[in-house]
Amino acid sequence: MQQRRKLGQKQINRELLNGNLQTPKWYIPVMIVLGSGVLFGLGTIFYMFNRGLGVTGLARPVYWGLFITTFVFWVGISHAGIMISAILRLTQAEWRRPVTRAAELLTVFSLLTALMFPLMHAGRPWRIAYWLIPYDWARGIWPNVRSPLFWDPIAIGTYLIGSTLFLFVALIPDIAILRDRTKGVANKIYSMLALGWRGNPRQWQLQTVAGVLLSALMLPIFVSVHSIVSWDFAVAPAVEGWHSTIFAPYFVIGAVHSGVSAVVTMMCLMRWLWKWNNFIRPEHFDALARLLIIVATAWLAFTFLELTFSLYGRDAPEVALRELQIFTWPWNLLFIIFLLTGYVIPVGCWLFKKLRSNIAVMFWTSILVNIGMWLERFLIIVPGLSRKQIFVYTWEGYWPSPVEWIILAWSFAWVSFLMLLFARFFPLVPLFEAKESQVFTTEMKVGRATVPMVIRE
Amino acid sequence: MVIFGILALVGIVSIILKISQGFDTKSAWGYYAAIVSVLLGIFGAAPLVAIAPTIAKADWHRPVSRIATMFTLAGLSTVIMTIPLIFALPPLVVNGLRRRSIWFDANIYTPHVFFGLAVIGLFLIGLSLLWVTSIPDFAAMRDHSNGWKQRLGKTLSRGFVGTDGQWVSLRARVGMMGTFYFMFLIFVHILYSVNFSLELVAGWKDAIYPMYHAVTGIQAGIATTVIALFLFRKYWKLEEFIRIDQFWALSKLMFATTIFWFYFFICAFIIFWYGRTEINIMTIKILVNGPYMPVFIGAFLLSFIVPWWIIIWNPVRKNPRMLTLIASIILVGHVLDRIRLYVISWQVYSDEMIHNRYIPLDQIPTQMLSPGILDILIFFGSISLGIFIILLASRMIPLVSIWETHQSILLTKHIKFHRTEVYAVGKPD
Repeated sequence: MQQRRKLGQKQINRELLNGNLQTPKWYIPVMIVLGSGVLFGLGTIFYMFNRGLGVTGLARPVYWGLFITTFVFWVGISHAGIMISAILRLTQAEWRRPVTRAAELLTVFSLLTALMFPLMHAGRPWRIAYWLIPYDWARGIWPNVRSPLFWDPIAIGTYLIGSTLFLFVALIPDIAILRDRTKGVANKIYSMLALGWRGNPRQWQLQTVAGVLLSALMLPIFVSVHSIVSWDFAVAPAVEGWHSTIFAPYFVIGAVHSGVSAVVTMMCLMRWLWKWNNFIRPEHFDALARLLIIVATAWLAFTFLELTFSLYGRDAPEVALRELQIFTWPWNLLFIIFLLTGYVIPVGCWLFKKLRSNIAVMFWTSILVNIGMWLERFLIIVPGLSRKQIFVYTWEGYWPSPVEWIILAWSFAWVSFLMLLFARFFPLVPLFEAKESQVFTTEMKVGRATVPMVIRE
Repeated sequence: MVIFGILALVGIVSIILKISQGFDTKSAWGYYAAIVSVLLGIFGAAPLVAIAPTIAKADWHRPVSRIATMFTLAGLSTVIMTIPLIFALPPLVVNGLRRRSIWFDANIYTPHVFFGLAVIGLFLIGLSLLWVTSIPDFAAMRDHSNGWKQRLGKTLSRGFVGTDGQWVSLRARVGMMGTFYFMFLIFVHILYSVNFSLELVAGWKDAIYPMYHAVTGIQAGIATTVIALFLFRKYWKLEEFIRIDQFWALSKLMFATTIFWFYFFICAFIIFWYGRTEINIMTIKILVNGPYMPVFIGAFLLSFIVPWWIIIWNPVRKNPRMLTLIASIILVGHVLDRIRLYVISWQVYSDEMIHNRYIPLDQIPTQMLSPGILDILIFFGSISLGIFIILLASRMIPLVSIWETHQSILLTKHIKFHRTEVYAVGKPD
């Protein structure tokens, strides 16, 4: 499994810093395109703020639409970091090493992006200030601390702070390397960020302990974040299809499925763009695909249970909702696409070693997964609210307006822009992990075979 | 052997006496259903301790895997116990009306037939798994013994001589059988938890419940393996093979499943508590703060609070004695948990009530049912039967897999690392 490559320290530094110490040719054109997309998206967001939520497709009875779907989607993607970094670190999976930084980074940027969607959804984001500081003390108007809508920003905020810390602690040794290879202002900034790192045994010991402790501390936050997001929906008994006990683990496992797939997409791009073939190898995709088969199958089991129990009660409104969701145009088409892209096609491909070791196949299947996972959230939120209820006299269905689609596209451009910006200044594959991997792996002869060995930490 | 054999016999006689009392009084079968659920956990889930690390290519499982897999044999006890319970389960059509079921409009005896087949299927898959993982050891038995043991080894080893092709095929079969067993076990848990408790309570709708049942069953399975390892290590003098490493790794699994116990419980509880509809209030009353509240508190303390608070400490995780104590506590908690789930489900079931949207609060019993003498004898008898079968098998199958021990010797070595010596593990593809 571990197709070990012997690499010298100098070679590792040279190859992994190739995007930081010089600018690749493709970098500026890509940044210009992404930057234009980001600016256009920001313009659209300000246009929406100026004109009001009337420019979106939101209308009675569907008040939660594409923005909330995308919020849940990005929170889901953020689960990549802790899944890959914390869990695989605690279980000492050797293959995790080149993947960790990208996964942690994706966590931070996707959380930042996710947090913007409830603000946009509020229509008048400055009024969020009232939520933080109640404007009418005399009447005792306070946020409802018993509401998951209140827990949400707290959980996500904690997760964001923790993930940033996690990312930073792992970055320190690499920043020190950059500090030693730069001059001028860059050197000053790297010196400040390196916090006096010299790489002495005590510093390494503290860095390792901090990594393990943060991993263990982040795990409960990781689970709680998406559980709380799911409870935004599940605690509402009035909406058929939402009041389900399985939502929390179902959302968490779905988030892991989507987040790890997003890491696969990123790894493919990193290998293609920076030519890091020595570090991101087919064996890593193979391991990730195996992990994804297990995660995706568990997710499918939860999906099956969720659907079965929604029909089990034989309540007429619940049955009607499922008819709408699964058999009524256009939801039926979306439902089929969701199942095919979320499970059938990707897992069908990953079952074959040849396909899961193929970078292009992994790239496209990981993208398919995230199309499916976005649709899953859309299919949970919108049909649930679209159902006609008492005292609702509007019969038009919800469909996102061009403004919403542009903002959705903006979120992808924004995350990609931030990632590339980060990649210009910091290495995307951790140098110290790559070097540690060289030290901690070796080979042995067993009979006629050469077997890779891992030193137990 | 003799004590367990006698207890097993007493248990079987008690089952026969229980059957002779008839199936009409459903509440009399609550404790029986809880015992079957406990057996599914402790005997059914224990082999996962061998399967999961094999799939994850962890090296610590090798001395543990055989003992864990041998619990599949004890599944015979679960099969025997299941047969009468199937007859006690009400059909899908009650009083001319179809009751709510995950089988929807299927034949009225579908859950009975499918669950019966599923339990037998799980037992057979478990046996196949044990056989497949023991083939090289049977070959060793064939080559190093005489008489009936040699004949048995010859039959069961199926001509295994250790060629490259045979090893490749063996590894593939172990992987496939293990995965299949795991998936089938989850399927059995889903069927049992839903058909034999949830569906018997009008209005109880809980999509996470089957997974809660499976996860808590796995927690009990790991605890059982820890206790078995401790006892076999001590009385069979296996200290050279079953070391602190194995307990250390198992303690982490036990800790993880303990946390899962709480997570899956709270995910359901918060929805019922928050929803506050009549159905939600009824469900909480049935499962948490109703007549079985003392049992719930006991289960909560022994399945989550106590083990969580103790396993969290590093010195405990390295101490086999302490871990065995925690595992025993977990098993007591597991039994209490199953009592709170099953006994009340059978207690509140009635042919008239089952078609209601929910059970009115004033119709929920105020007193919990106590187990009868037969229930107690069946409990100890069924567990003894499982242990008896394992002890019997240990006369023929080595408790520590010989081929996996050889593999471990080949694939691990101490190497010089700067100024110290470290332990390195080979990871073949």
